[in-house]
Amino acid sequence: MLGLPTVLITLVPQASREMGPPRAIAPAGFQLGDSLGGPRQVALQRAVLLDALRRWEARDEPGNIWEITYPAYVPDPAILHGGEIVHDD
Amino acid sequence: MPMSRRCIPYTPRQRELRDSTFALVSTAGVQMREQEPYNLDGDNSWRLIPGDVRTDQLLVTHGHYDHRHADADINCVFPLDRLRELAAEGVIGGVADKHLGFMGYTQQLRDLYERAAPEMAKVIERSRADAVLLTAG
Repeated sequence: MLGLPTVLITLVPQASREMGPPRAIAPAGFQLGDSLGGPRQVALQRAVLLDALRRWEARDEPGNIWEITYPAYVPDPAILHGGEIVHDD
Repeated sequence: MPMSRRCIPYTPRQRELRDSTFALVSTAGVQMREQEPYNLDGDNSWRLIPGDVRTDQLLVTHGHYDHRHADADINCVFPLDRLRELAAEGVIGGVADKHLGFMGYTQQLRDLYERAAPEMAKVIERSRADAVLLTAG
């Protein structure tokens, strides 16, 4: 069996690139925890999802990660460290 | 099947978008409320999420990112409602009968590579999915 065609939404494209995802998009500047946007941002979530599906559909070179900017996205200052939990140990 | 880590494991799509059924697989720590929480110290277990789940029955357990936004709206990391809407509009063929949640923080990399990931792949391959959308936290 050949497997299934996949598409990844990544917020850390440099790290993802090391793993070689066949298809991926990277929303620029999104905090961890906001893969498709913030809570109840339905239009933004839909836009990110549609772009991921466009990437899935596109006959583009395997491994290319589309980095996409969404002007509607604004990081939440209440989410510290870009969403990453920083452990003291 | 062993594969060189320099290969990109590419499967061409066999169907058009509008004819394809999508499954969600996420390492954001998504689970159903009644399922056992992930072990935040490291966990290779996965959670089967049925395709007809209500999204208010989903939550996140994860210790390595701030998931307050996902707690308020699971679609931030697991866009099941958004996928359902697109299926209703005919943009995609449908939403799969099975999805998978995973926590993603682990030190047991060999077990992840040799057991857990192949098990998860098998579950999705044997489902009605034609395609997979992957997300993280």
